[in-house]
This record gives sequence, C-alpha cells and structure tokens, in this order.
Amino acid sequence: MTVRALVIDDSRAMRRIVSGTLEGFGYETRQAGHGQEALDVLHEGWVPDLCTIDWNMPVMDGLQFVNAVRANPAWRPVTLMMVTSESEHGQIVRALAAGAHEYVIKPFTADAIRDKLALLGLLPQEVSL
Amino acid sequence: MSDLSDAGLRRRAGDLPPATAELVDEATVCEITEQAWLALVGEDEVLVPLPAPLPAETLSSWVEIVGPWTGAVVLTCGRDTALDLTRALLGEHAPQEVEQEDVDDALGELANVVGGNVKAVLPGPSVLGLPEVGTTPPSGREADSVRVAVLWRGSPLTVRVQSVLAERENEVPL
Repeated sequence: MTVRALVIDDSRAMRRIVSGTLEGFGYETRQAGHGQEALDVLHEGWVPDLCTIDWNMPVMDGLQFVNAVRANPAWRPVTLMMVTSESEHGQIVRALAAGAHEYVIKPFTADAIRDKLALLGLLPQEVSL
Repeated sequence: MSDLSDAGLRRRAGDLPPATAELVDEATVCEITEQAWLALVGEDEVLVPLPAPLPAETLSSWVEIVGPWTGAVVLTCGRDTALDLTRALLGEHAPQEVEQEDVDDALGELANVVGGNVKAVLPGPSVLGLPEVGTTPPSGREADSVRVAVLWRGSPLTVRVQSVLAERENEVPL
C-alpha cells in the first residue's frame, strides 16, 4: 500500500527537495505552500499518512496548522513532522506540545529524514536502513 | 515617588545591547553556512573562506530576527551565482528553464536556513521573519555586524549578520 505525504513549505525549492526525498522512499506526495492550503487538501478528502511542516509561512504558519489538525479527531492518525529552520529549544517544545510527532531541523540530509521515518514506523519496508 | 532608573525600569544611555560580534563569531556563521550548503546545495559543494570582491550586479536574500537581538541575516552574491545556486539546489528537480521566481525562492530559502540557525545561537526567544529577496538589503549598522566572505565554485558570496538598531543608541526610557 502506498504511503502518502503532504509537504507543506512556502519555498517551492524546499517542497521539491522534500517531495523528491520522500518519493525516493516510495511515498506518493502532494504539496502545499502554507498551512491553509494544506488544510484545504485535507478537507477535500486527501488525508495523508504524514505531513512535513515548515514553521514560518505566510497565511497560516506551521504551528497553527498543527493546532488545526489536532483539533479535528478525524485527522488524529496523521503523523506530523516539523521540518524547519526554527531550532530554538523553546520552539521545538512548543511544536511537540501542540501535537507534532517529530522535529527535523533544516538543513537536513535524506538520511536524517529516513531515520525519523523509521522511528515513526513510516518507512516503506522495501527501503533499507 | 520612586526613582525609576534606580528600580531598573529604565535603560541608561550607556546600556547598549551587546555587540553582534560578542554574540556570534565569524567561525560560527561560516560553519552554519557550510552546513546549509552541504545539505541543500550538494554534498560536494565546498565553501572556501576567501574574500573576493562581489560583482557589480548582486542579489541578496535576508531574514529578519526580532528579539533581544534585532537585525538581519543577509546573503549576497552575483546574479549569475544566484542562478547557479538555484540549479544546484534544485538538482534533478530543476525545471528546464529556471525563472527569476525560482532564483528568488532558492536564495530566500538559503537565507532562511542560515538565518534560522544563526537565530538559535543568539539570545532568545526571538522571532524569525519570512525571507525576502532583492537588490537592496536592509541597511544595518556596518560597525555592528559579523561578515563572512567565501567563494563557492570560485564565485564570491557573503553572509552578514547585522544589527539594525541604530536608533537604540539614543534610547533611554523603556
């Protein structure tokens, strides 16, 4: 079964990089440029297994998106992984307290993403560690 | 009536915030930039710490940081270098024809990643702004900045961490 990911970042370049990395692991991906656009994708019924979420974005930032997803019980199974350059300890704590499962600090490597996915049990079996 | 200045509720004219160079040094900025390059631009993309003059036509990207230290992290390079950086950053995902929008986006993301990690070593808590791109970066206090000059594929680029609090020199009451 295909694993689905929604890549949320206001940078097109970063969306391409993260999507490319996940597709290399066998994911089917979609992209959103900010939190509200991502919520629209979820509302239309495309509910992913994983959301990768930038913090600083226009319209709706990553933390607001996490709060919105966690407020809807129907989206509880969605795994939320922050992928952001916000690396202050306080910000990491805030994101995890709001309901994010994992936190990856930019810059990251494909290996770092793979390791996090393995920890979350979201690495397709055919991808070896 | 209490003396506000003695109660610590006023900042004395001489109580300037620490200089930027006291908070972050060139080596740290250089290391953060190198990490960003290796992860985003490419594993073999080495930055050589060698100052060289920037070309006449440059492009800058920057993010502002607002907090106990307020200022901006500014990345500047030549326009051709910015285009090459975009192609390198996008790699196999690069479109056939790279547009200015792609260049602005890629350069902005590099400033965002470098700025976010610089913010982490500065006193906090602070807020990171969204990246901006243009030919005229925000003016800062040249005297209160940390500047790193490197070569990437032989082309010069600079990263500047600059305070923008010139008006604070005259600030007394909070």
